Amino acid sequence: MNMLTRKLIAKEFYLHRWLIVGSTAAGLAGLAIAAEGAMRFNIGMLTWLTAIIAFGVMLAMLGIANERKERALQFVLSLPLSPGDYVRIKLIGLLLCYLVPWAILSAGAVVLLLVRPNLPDGLLPFALLLCGFMLANFSVVLCGALHTASEGVMTIVIIVTNMNVTLFIFLVGAVPSLNDHLHAAAPVWNDAFWIVLAAEAATLSIALSLPYFVAARRRDSI
Amino acid sequence: MTTTKHIEMRNVRKAFRFFTLEDLSLDLEPGQIMGFVGPNGAGKSTSIRLMTGLLTPDAGEVRVLGHAMPDAQAIAKRDIGFVSDDMRLFGHASVGWHMRFVASLYPGWDPQYAKALVKRFNLRIEQNVSGLSSGEHVKTVLMLALARRPRLLILDEPTSGLDPVARHEVLTELMDVLRDEDRSILFSSHNTVDVERISDRITFIDRGRLVDSNDKEDFLERWRRIQLQVPAGTTLPDLPHLVSRVADGQFVTLTTNRFSKDLVAFLGSSVREVHRMSLEEIFVANVMHHREARGE
Repeated sequence: MNMLTRKLIAKEFYLHRWLIVGSTAAGLAGLAIAAEGAMRFNIGMLTWLTAIIAFGVMLAMLGIANERKERALQFVLSLPLSPGDYVRIKLIGLLLCYLVPWAILSAGAVVLLLVRPNLPDGLLPFALLLCGFMLANFSVVLCGALHTASEGVMTIVIIVTNMNVTLFIFLVGAVPSLNDHLHAAAPVWNDAFWIVLAAEAATLSIALSLPYFVAARRRDSI
Repeated sequence: MTTTKHIEMRNVRKAFRFFTLEDLSLDLEPGQIMGFVGPNGAGKSTSIRLMTGLLTPDAGEVRVLGHAMPDAQAIAKRDIGFVSDDMRLFGHASVGWHMRFVASLYPGWDPQYAKALVKRFNLRIEQNVSGLSSGEHVKTVLMLALARRPRLLILDEPTSGLDPVARHEVLTELMDVLRDEDRSILFSSHNTVDVERISDRITFIDRGRLVDSNDKEDFLERWRRIQLQVPAGTTLPDLPHLVSRVADGQFVTLTTNRFSKDLVAFLGSSVREVHRMSLEEIFVANVMHHREARGE
């Protein structure tokens, strides 16, 4: 990783530092709330989920769409980098920014499930799939933001990816081979788990590679 | 020994849905300040975006500091300071943060010069960019570009949002940059007063086409308005190099782009006055003449 890439990635962390801290704090507060009681669990996990989803959307919007809209993109592109460098740095920089709260909050959810006796460990595979899904979902939003300058298209991408979280919870949560083990005392790592995880990994790979082949090869950067 | 031109554009074409930049060729030599003048929508920003690699030409060749654009833009931009009136910095970061950020990317960053510019432009390094006025913002962007001591400065309407005092400060600073004979500036504007003040070469562009390009002094020497008084009904002979001819009763005003004493001698006693033209008058006359010649 060259010096320019490092500096520009550091710039992303600096500019989004309060968003990272705020989202992490909100998600951790959600986990703290979720620790006790069924009702509190629902409210806490909803807060946790919202913090991760909203952070991803805001990060992509502020880091790419707003930079373009507020014309800071011209300043960035006046620096000694090519459009390909820009796309690569944005992908790495914003993904790393996202990974900080995502990793902390995902680990927090896993710890919560493991240490709270009132929460069955059977929830663990589903929780991990949900975390993986949110990471893949963020990569789709990031990919969308790098490909379109249209606010309308971006709004559609955000609505669809947000709806996908709800659909994921209901549809994947209803898959019998996963649902049957949610209340089990020990986690079950069966084929259904690995298939869904593989699908998430594939989505993540496609969404993160597509900008290298399309956005980075555009003839006009502005 | 041949020196590398700082900007070379050869037969460049770039088409959009409602606008086409057509067959643009221009050169900027080291040490020159080129005023790139055109009305709104003439193609100045498109040309500059082609020079800075932000756009790819549909045809033709663009070379900046010897590098083919846009392919080698990452290398070329190490030595280009680009400032545009619609370029914005990061609103939630301070002027000082931007200085440290740019300094960390450019080995040629001159901290003493940056400090002097901050003082001269009356900027406050701890202030957030979102709190800057538009004039302060332009001066901050210029300071960031100047302090890295680029070989080539490309300025797209940098003075358009500035008050007269700020414009004076900025233009004075740009004149200072040119003390180093290897540095050059391309300065786009529709404000011909600014361009006339600092440029030594002028390029006029209109409706996506290059209208004229020459040394400033050459423009100012060649262009004249000649007022004649002739008896009503007199038909003037065809004269070479006439850009326009406007008759008002017995008075006829001729505009020429090849003024010479021979022309005055030829017109004889009918000549009442010969006016030197300002760059703005030359620009307007030139543009209108080319539009007529193209039947627009």
